[in-house]
Amino acid sequence: MLSRFAKFFIALILAVIALWTWTWPHAPGPIAGAVLAASASAEPAPSSGYDSPSQATPPNAAFNFVSPVPNGDWTEPAGDLANTRYSPLNQITVGNVKNLRQIATFADGIPHGHEGQPLVVNGTMYIVTPFPNNLIAIDLKNLTGPVKWMFQPHPDPVAQGKACCDVVNRGAAYADGLVVYQLLDNHVVAVNATTGQQVWRTSTGNVYSGETATGAPLIVKDKVYVGNSGGELGVRGKLTCLDLKTGKILWVAYSQGPDSDVRIGPDFHPFYKKDQGTNLGTSTWGNELWQHGGGTVWGWISYDPELNLIYYGTGNPGVWDPGMRPGSDHWSITIFARDPDTGYARWAYQIEPHDNYDYDEIMENILIDMDWHGRPRKLLLHPARDGFYFVLDRATGEVLSATKFMDSTNWATGFDLKTGLPDKVQDKATHEGNVTMGICPSSTGAKEVVPSAVSPITGYDYIPAHNTCMNYQALPANYIAGTTFLGASVKMYPGPGGFQGALVAWDIKNEKPVWTIKDPTFPVYSGVLATAGNVVFYGTLEGWFRAVDARSGDILWQQKLPSGIIGDPMTYIGPDGKQYVAIYSGIGGWMGAVAFPTISMTDPYAALGVVGAMKGIKQVSPPASNIYIFGL
Amino acid sequence: MQIRFVALPLAVMALALTGCENRSVAQGDTSPISSSSAAIGPIPGTDQPNPLGPIDPYINDVVALQEGRRLFVWYNCYGCHGGHGGGGMGPSLRDQDWIYGDTDADIFNSIAQGRANGMPAWGTRIPQDQIWKIVAYIKSLNTPREPDPPR
Repeated sequence: MLSRFAKFFIALILAVIALWTWTWPHAPGPIAGAVLAASASAEPAPSSGYDSPSQATPPNAAFNFVSPVPNGDWTEPAGDLANTRYSPLNQITVGNVKNLRQIATFADGIPHGHEGQPLVVNGTMYIVTPFPNNLIAIDLKNLTGPVKWMFQPHPDPVAQGKACCDVVNRGAAYADGLVVYQLLDNHVVAVNATTGQQVWRTSTGNVYSGETATGAPLIVKDKVYVGNSGGELGVRGKLTCLDLKTGKILWVAYSQGPDSDVRIGPDFHPFYKKDQGTNLGTSTWGNELWQHGGGTVWGWISYDPELNLIYYGTGNPGVWDPGMRPGSDHWSITIFARDPDTGYARWAYQIEPHDNYDYDEIMENILIDMDWHGRPRKLLLHPARDGFYFVLDRATGEVLSATKFMDSTNWATGFDLKTGLPDKVQDKATHEGNVTMGICPSSTGAKEVVPSAVSPITGYDYIPAHNTCMNYQALPANYIAGTTFLGASVKMYPGPGGFQGALVAWDIKNEKPVWTIKDPTFPVYSGVLATAGNVVFYGTLEGWFRAVDARSGDILWQQKLPSGIIGDPMTYIGPDGKQYVAIYSGIGGWMGAVAFPTISMTDPYAALGVVGAMKGIKQVSPPASNIYIFGL
Repeated sequence: MQIRFVALPLAVMALALTGCENRSVAQGDTSPISSSSAAIGPIPGTDQPNPLGPIDPYINDVVALQEGRRLFVWYNCYGCHGGHGGGGMGPSLRDQDWIYGDTDADIFNSIAQGRANGMPAWGTRIPQDQIWKIVAYIKSLNTPREPDPPR
């Protein structure tokens, strides 16, 4: 009975697709191909507007994809599940990108940091605003007309005063007719993509204790994964898994506490001895500080369909004063691999034990298959906040390489790949009461949460990099729920070399930079998009949106937008069959918030110490709330 | 399952009943809300400016300003409002802009009562005398009186 229904249903879908591609000449072609690929091979089935991994991989590729790649729509935050931020679209090329022009712009009216990226699904673009986290649907066939609808969730205004680094949101994910995203007050909402009506809403945390939510969800099959924010307010970091259909919480995996809280069981096999043992999430914390231990999960989540594992990194340990939490402080600053169904950890690797610098490692974990020193390996790439480029075996958690990608990095000389431990420089360690001068990178990192992109054509990872350093004084702090649990006085400033930002093309295989576009004044605080047209897109804090030759680093085209770019470029096929590129222009976030009138330049210690690194930002980049769409 | 089926409607009824009760109490209370502290907005029915309210006794007290600085760090004010009050999660206290008023009493009330966008209500946790010292420190920011200015 069931199978007959199933067959009928599949036949119906095929018929509808056939009818649609036949009646609409501009329908993106790959859809029929995607359906074929799904039935013909064992590789993961892409949804509409997606290429299978083998379809997306060009001839003579430097690496192979592991998850379907967007080829028309853009339904996950990074486009794909593996966080490559690569698009096989190739209408916009090195040859014609000079003709790129503005097609449309739209202001959502919320003049705060616009991180993340919009989604495009079936001819509609979805934008999540910063707090109050409105969801706006724009008809791509009617870009100058009124919006289709706006969903206003009205989150608790208290959340604005609990978010450490502006009231940002890093976007939504789409599946099965639902647009799913987090509100700053820790609710996850699912909205009907057609009507704009709320389908479910689930609370995942307590904003009054200082917990907030800024990260983008990842949707895998019938589950939604979200992480929390609040590492500066004594929050316990965690990943929460919800049922896509109902919003019911299925499990929660904490970043510290007893193994039962961390979801560590018999299947847990960390590669390094230092990460092996029972209840490290409590025993490696002095003063029971794990109870306010941070390790929040505010960055990107990725998924490998073949190994069936999800990957993400955790943030800084609670309180920036290392003297208050003697021990390695597991599982802060850790990359986790977990079973997506049960949430149980498969392996974990703590990058920096006993953090001294607030080096959250919530960066994107990019999953690719590639030959590594002559052997095919399943790789996880992690361009780290701490200035090193990590290559891991994502099946085991073994570190294959950890190489400096920002020269000024001086807190460690390197990593011992046998033990997995950093070779820390003692002069740069921080101690309660002392001011340690000239630590590079600063807490904001050699790279912030904004994601890099990889291209299989060049084999490069395009890293939006920072060259910022700091003086750091650790201070004892009182835990008072709902207030900052900070414990440091930090002052940041531009690093040596006459530049503070850079787009670095990193040769993954040869472990070295190939070319660099330096920004003399500000860190590069936008995400990156790589495309099959060999064009790489990124933006600057001064508001330049750029198209760059993926091979040479030549700037092929640029346009000045009204406000600094801290969002991530994305690309899609419009209803007319043409390729477009979209980007937010709206300064904010941790460093960018210095552009706001509520932060004074007379206090270099303001905004957790970033003011000294952002001189002149108010003069070049006013707050804004725009999205721009470009096309040929 | 059966118990739950019965329990849910019962709970709804119970909630509805308690709701009615609360409403009737609220309707019965016609006395004005007592207001002992300074108002933040204009007061209806008068063309007079708001009263200045109490004056901070510590404004020019060098020792109290130092103590205010210490308390500003001790109670985690610096995490939100910046190491030396320049702002961040919360607004700058070093500039000319005062969202909830700039008198000594206004600043005292913002600390004691809390504000809707995340500022906690400290009146139940910090003694009045200490709040006045913090107010004095805040009013000294970016002036020659500021203790331990940022360097």
